[in-house]
Amino acid sequence: MTDAPMKLTVVGAEAPAWRKRALTILSHALLIGASILMLYPLLWMLAASFRPENEIFTSASIIPSSWSIDSYFRGWNGLRTSFSVFFTNSFIVSISSVIGNVFACSLAAFAFARLEFRGRKIWFALMLMTLMLPYQVTLIPQYVLFRQLGWVDTFLPLIVPKFLAADAFFIFLMVQFFRGIPRELDEAAMMDGAGPWRIYWKIMLPLSTPVLATAAIFTFIWTWDDFFGPLIYLNQMRDYTVMLGLRTFTDSTGMSDYGGLFAMSVLSLVPIFLFFLIFQRLLIEGIATTGMKR
Amino acid sequence: MTVQHVASTSATSEVPKTSVWARIWQQDAPGYLFLLPWFIGFFGLTLGPMISSLYLSFTKFDLLTSPDWVGAGNYVRMFTNDPKFAASMRVTFFFVIFSVPLKLAFALGVALLLNRGMKGLPLYRALFYLPSLLGASVAIAILWRQIFAGDGLVNKFLSVFGIVGPSWISNPNYSLWTLIILAIWQFGSPMIIFLAGLRQIPQDMYEAASLDGASKWRQFWKITLPLLTPVVFFNAIIQTIEAFKSFTPAFIISGGTGNPINSTLFYTLYLYQEAFGFFRMGYASALAWVLLAIVAAFTAFSFLTSKYWVHYDD
Repeated sequence: MTDAPMKLTVVGAEAPAWRKRALTILSHALLIGASILMLYPLLWMLAASFRPENEIFTSASIIPSSWSIDSYFRGWNGLRTSFSVFFTNSFIVSISSVIGNVFACSLAAFAFARLEFRGRKIWFALMLMTLMLPYQVTLIPQYVLFRQLGWVDTFLPLIVPKFLAADAFFIFLMVQFFRGIPRELDEAAMMDGAGPWRIYWKIMLPLSTPVLATAAIFTFIWTWDDFFGPLIYLNQMRDYTVMLGLRTFTDSTGMSDYGGLFAMSVLSLVPIFLFFLIFQRLLIEGIATTGMKR
Repeated sequence: MTVQHVASTSATSEVPKTSVWARIWQQDAPGYLFLLPWFIGFFGLTLGPMISSLYLSFTKFDLLTSPDWVGAGNYVRMFTNDPKFAASMRVTFFFVIFSVPLKLAFALGVALLLNRGMKGLPLYRALFYLPSLLGASVAIAILWRQIFAGDGLVNKFLSVFGIVGPSWISNPNYSLWTLIILAIWQFGSPMIIFLAGLRQIPQDMYEAASLDGASKWRQFWKITLPLLTPVVFFNAIIQTIEAFKSFTPAFIISGGTGNPINSTLFYTLYLYQEAFGFFRMGYASALAWVLLAIVAAFTAFSFLTSKYWVHYDD
């Protein structure tokens, strides 16, 4: 995607120059106003996390009168279990999910995009249909299944489905990308006697780093943010992810310690925000080309 | 020509009749092997569970004892004798009907503004996208709860003008609107899709229209909007399905209750309460199938009517 602004060249009745300039200035004013309005809550939360406790509710400004990082220390140990446990758990679940999703989805996508086998079209159509399926429809039997396997109160129900390519969206994303890679490349490799596995491993994957990175980043963010899965499957505080930790905070001490709650909320957003800063272009392209929901 | 074609033709030319299995192995096995993880997931985590949840929806099931067949009892109760179900339907439809069009209107409006060749487009685009990326987090729901609380940020601003605002989240007249505003706040990703769509519109169409003396306003209604309808269609479907499935904000803001007086009882929240609060798994399965029916009906309806309003290239 190029960022070169598309100029509307009006050939006919040209608006007077001053009117055009006024419109541009007005547009910028509107956009800047909207940006401030939208980001204000985020900045306010950030500021609140650095304020002395007694100032949080008296000030609507986004600049604290004095800075303090006490809230971070209080919040970190605000629950029976410290947030270092929750952050570790969240990282374990998210990183395992990334590995599972990238591996399993790329295998399936390679089959759909490049291999010829009977029933391919039917399976592909079925895969696309699962994209639309609300997860609630499979929720209860899945819960029963994982409970019988003894997986409740472990991370397995959150991770294993990723290794089984349950997130069909990423298969679709990768199929689209794989189809754009010239077939001459795999044909040449085939002439040299390479089998499907070698073509997948030595040609497709190395050429697909952009789409693999996009899938990895979105998997990380979605898993990191996931609240429903951990809510159902994790009941012991030592297994909690950050999102469950935050929720527990709001239920218990959070009502009295807003500073600590905001500090932990800010920290929970840091990994996502870092991805946003570093991979912004990749994320925006991913959305623009495939129409992702977030 | 694909990998498998070559492999299978060479195999058939070398080996005669006896090798039907060998040929199947040669031709089909790699595809199925690559799909193996997906197959396990599809049958074990999607298709199998779908069938069993359909069965469970006709039973009474508390997870500990085996399911009792009750026929259509769950569905009958749902539509005739369950005020909470009715409330959750009202809340969810209200949320979908207001949040989706407003979100898309904002997304389209800002995209049009940015597409005028504004300087700083990448910066604006990134700033507007950020809430979309962060918005699903529990942290943002917590923030929202604070912003719209009685002593929250919104009321602080209102007090500047001498207005004493209510506690928006604990007032049933406004609580759902705080969630709608949260959804609209995340207009960034449909906006990016609109921007990509706007770039696809050939510029010479506008030039020709200007030569004919068409005003900007007319150009928008006659060129931009018709050519953008496929993107509008796509965004509307995705956002509507997402809105029906929304869970976390309502859960956090209402503390898992859907209160005040069920005004934020999203359908998914009610389903969660039935399944994991009261362990009425059969009833919750029936709720899930009704949700699927609603989503499927909406999607089918959109596709069927699309030929009347979605413009496709000839």
